[in-house]
Amino acid sequence: MHHWKRSLALPVTLVAIALGFMISLQAQTQKNVSAAEQISAERMGQMKSVLTNSQAQNTRLQEEHQFLLKQLDEARKKVGTDPQLLAQLKQLQIFEGTQAVEGPGIQISIDDRNKKALYPLSPDDIARLINTLKFAGAEAISINGQRIVSTTAIVLSGNSTILVNTIPINRSEGVPYELDAIGNQDTLLDYFSKLEAPGLKKYGLTVSITRKTVLIPSYKGTYTFVHANPVPA
Amino acid sequence: MKLQNKERSLLGLASILVGFLFVILLKAQGTVGSQLTRQETALPSLIQTEQENQQISEDNEKIQQELVKYAEGQNASALANQQLQEAQMNAGAVAVTGPAVRITLDDSKRVAIGQEDPNNFLIHEQYIREIFNALWNGGAEAIAVNGQRVTTNTEVFCAGSYIQINGTRQMPPYVIDAIGDTNNLSAALKFYGWDKLGDFQQQYGITRKLDVLPEVIIPAGKLRDYRYAEPVKEGT
Repeated sequence: MHHWKRSLALPVTLVAIALGFMISLQAQTQKNVSAAEQISAERMGQMKSVLTNSQAQNTRLQEEHQFLLKQLDEARKKVGTDPQLLAQLKQLQIFEGTQAVEGPGIQISIDDRNKKALYPLSPDDIARLINTLKFAGAEAISINGQRIVSTTAIVLSGNSTILVNTIPINRSEGVPYELDAIGNQDTLLDYFSKLEAPGLKKYGLTVSITRKTVLIPSYKGTYTFVHANPVPA
Repeated sequence: MKLQNKERSLLGLASILVGFLFVILLKAQGTVGSQLTRQETALPSLIQTEQENQQISEDNEKIQQELVKYAEGQNASALANQQLQEAQMNAGAVAVTGPAVRITLDDSKRVAIGQEDPNNFLIHEQYIREIFNALWNGGAEAIAVNGQRVTTNTEVFCAGSYIQINGTRQMPPYVIDAIGDTNNLSAALKFYGWDKLGDFQQQYGITRKLDVLPEVIIPAGKLRDYRYAEPVKEGT
């Protein structure tokens, strides 16, 4: 019985052809993949170095910023500017957001990455959360380090990038969203946990609220008035 | 059917080969996927850092200019006064005038009948917030709604039969004025929510009106006292 059965010849040929086709396809894919991997690795490397540079520059600029602010403070003191006027200026600068502030408040972490989350957090959601914090009397608010001021717009760019003050706030690591608010801790906690947290949790998002002393950075954008003119008092 | 030894070994070989191919295929697919995500997460943080750098640079330049003025020995109180005026303007503590768009929103005069959702006949708080957001995004310089200046702390919160804005009770119609480039502002309103309101206008009779006005006056906003927030000491 060392000869092949005739009836097997056709199926075996077909299987052999299919197998051969698969092998060549696989070889081709493998080649493409290794090429793609190489390109990707190169690109990642380039991006990493650009990012590192950019971050180093950021640190340097922040240091320079602090140094300049200190100098400015000293210059103002030296020329003997009216302290009352300076106090008024500080108050206005907290209001317009150009002054970094710290104080008691709450920190809210929202994670929309888990499998149970039905929807990712949307710009409208963020606007609503911030509105509720304002309603609770928050004196200063930030999301992922962006200070909320009057002119703050929260918009979607592309599919998933959220811009706040025209800056993308998406994070590549850690908790995706962190809201900080300064104000009466009891009120902030009470309002947020009753008005907003249940809704977010219902949609499967992870929410944690903690009382803590928070630091809210300054608004780094600019106000421009081209069309609006002050009305003489 | 009984298989011969040779046939059996062939079948075994083929099975191993197919299994092997399958594993490689899965692996290849996996690496392609992970490469993609790594790159996708690195890019936003790069844009973020770059833009923040630009913001800080601009801010630093402003401070430097101010320091120069001090160094030049400019009149200190005049300088402080000038800064105070700028800060008041930025904070919205000054009434302003200029060309504007005016958006009027009002509940429908018709009542819901049958299966109609009564919510579609009313103006809701989020419509007002969405419009603010679109206007700021379009470069608005000052916004007010029903005479209430929109500032850093302005809330637009639905409290049942009325909407609370700046701690005051507001009822429809809601008239929103925004000073700025009226072409840009009108264009900025072309977003999803605005179109939806247009549909509601046709179907349920709510009011959604846009007017361009050569000049409006937007009142000053109220400042607030700070009981919890302290300025961060510089140099720390």
